[in-house]
Amino acid sequence: MDILQLIANGIPAGVMYSLVALCIVLIHNGTNVVHFGYGDQITFAAYLVVITQTLFGAPLWLAIASSVVISALFGLFIYLAILAPIRKTPLLVQVIATLAIGTALREGMRAFMGPDPWPFPALVAPRIFNLGGVFITSANVAAVAIAVIITVALFVFFKVSKYGQAIIAACENAKGASIVGISVTKVFASIWIVASVLAAVSAILMAPVVTLSPDMGLIAIKGFCAAVLGGFTSLPGAIVGGILLGLIETTAGYYISTAAKDVVAYGVLIAVVIFMPQGLFGKAQLKKV
Amino acid sequence: MRTSTVAKAAAFVAFGLWGANPVFADSTGVTDSTIKIGFVGSMTGPAAIWGSGNMAGATLAFEELNAAGGVNGRKIEFITVDDETSAPKGIAGFNRLVQSDKVFAVFGPSSSAVGVPMKATMASSGVPVLIPSFSSPLMTEPPAPNIFRVGAINDRMQGRGIANYLVNTDKRTKIAILRQSDEYGATGAGAVGDRLKELKMAPVANEVFNAADTDFTSQVLRVRSANPDAIVVYGYPAPSAIITRQLREVGIKAEIIGSSATSNQNYPELVGKIGAGTKFVTTLEHQPESDFPAIKKFREAFQKRFPDLARQGRPALGDTLGYAGALTMIEAIRQAGKDLTREGYVKALESMDGYETGISMPTHLSATNREGNTKMYIAVIKDDLTREVLPGAIETK
Repeated sequence: MDILQLIANGIPAGVMYSLVALCIVLIHNGTNVVHFGYGDQITFAAYLVVITQTLFGAPLWLAIASSVVISALFGLFIYLAILAPIRKTPLLVQVIATLAIGTALREGMRAFMGPDPWPFPALVAPRIFNLGGVFITSANVAAVAIAVIITVALFVFFKVSKYGQAIIAACENAKGASIVGISVTKVFASIWIVASVLAAVSAILMAPVVTLSPDMGLIAIKGFCAAVLGGFTSLPGAIVGGILLGLIETTAGYYISTAAKDVVAYGVLIAVVIFMPQGLFGKAQLKKV
Repeated sequence: MRTSTVAKAAAFVAFGLWGANPVFADSTGVTDSTIKIGFVGSMTGPAAIWGSGNMAGATLAFEELNAAGGVNGRKIEFITVDDETSAPKGIAGFNRLVQSDKVFAVFGPSSSAVGVPMKATMASSGVPVLIPSFSSPLMTEPPAPNIFRVGAINDRMQGRGIANYLVNTDKRTKIAILRQSDEYGATGAGAVGDRLKELKMAPVANEVFNAADTDFTSQVLRVRSANPDAIVVYGYPAPSAIITRQLREVGIKAEIIGSSATSNQNYPELVGKIGAGTKFVTTLEHQPESDFPAIKKFREAFQKRFPDLARQGRPALGDTLGYAGALTMIEAIRQAGKDLTREGYVKALESMDGYETGISMPTHLSATNREGNTKMYIAVIKDDLTREVLPGAIETK
């Protein structure tokens, strides 16, 4: 029976990683930037809910809506004020900039909201379902369901909608896209907005489960691993990579040793990087010489 | 060479020199009207949970003292350094306070991860250091002549106290341990295991977790397989809160007891209703939210002085221990008299036997003992998520 419980808990644990991985991949695919501050952006969005509720006494729905809107504007700000001006600098400069954004957010939240963890309101009423000895919580069900909806929506958006295809075109060949009339600046800005909205959604799902603190964004380390496992360019790969990582961690911890949990999980990751550098869902990169 | 070995060697040499050489009066940092006190602690980074509180509490105590005219006619000049939860920065900060600012004594640091690597530097400096909160026993084992701890209880003692409580008071016979993988968890949970061994018992499960982890399914299921009647969770607040929830979510009904790191005022809300009945170690007989007169007076003064921190639901444990630690420091300076020297201050600390701040545990120090507190209480989270300290202090020596 424990194996079923491991699966029942391992999937939602992995979904938390998937949500982070999804947006890291989205930003990377869309703008070529690896956003090392994304975990902290999620934390920031979660704090926005708490701030709106605590300081302004807003009801939960309004606090969530405020968080989504402010996150979207903040994403736009990051792009227009920081990353657009340095778009033509070496990639390393842009990566350092994202690290700086993350650190500033983390320490800013620590200074403004204090170093202690904060209780975060549950999106769904806390309930535990007993399915023949396997316990499943309402928070985990909600996280998995919303992650699936987000993935399907993004998949359809990029495959079906004209705007989604414009984004892909701009990403693959910015110069070519601008020649055919696609505004690369608008496309990049919209990617940052979408990823930032998803940061708020992830925050609302994540914070009640993993506990809100200034360091909650460290979960992004696992998100990056999930993205690498999935292929770093594939949105479904990010989801599958996260879930796989969650399952590997829980089963390795249970069947081998809790002390060896991370050793096994990261060992698998290293093996994938060595033997399948393109990840599980990524395409092998061919370079003509 | 391991840091702890270096610290032990430095402390040994320092203690040897202390006894072998004549002591010269050292009044560095003292003028006719002021005493320079340095603070090095974590105001940013993960350990700010304790450091920012230690600093805020001490600031309030020193400001109150200065407003009342100071101690023996001198006012406190408080110089602070942020170690950013980094041991190298802690060492650099300590050296700056001692060498550039030339402080009389140091208050802090605030976390084991920073403080333990600093011990050798602190011990060799000879500058008196008063630690108000963190709990690594390595700071006082072996004792250094100039390093004291008050208020908090060290992890070795705490682990013994937890085992004593579960076995002798609660009559538990199947105890599982879930501990953080770092030195904090290893020392505290190790002490639980050692004490159980002395009591002719062994933990039925002993699992580890990382402080930054967000899912603990494998640990809680392994614990469930062992069918314990009590579970010790020795870790920081965020992982302990998730673990407590997950233990209950998979149907475990055993008693759960957390380390003193989970004695912060908002911990019950972090865990939620599912955590009602969870116990934890506390070194405060009266919690910061209580209406005990001395606590209430401190809370009101703190919230008036720091309205931005009051908004965060503070004062918390770190603030309270910072305030109480500073009161202890002030009392020792007072007892050292008008001709204040470091030696006189150290002697005054060593002579404290039962000094009470009114908000923390009494301080018992001596010429051979640098650990001011050896007692703790057990508290419980009630159904309405308020906290109740159970009667009877537990001796942990």
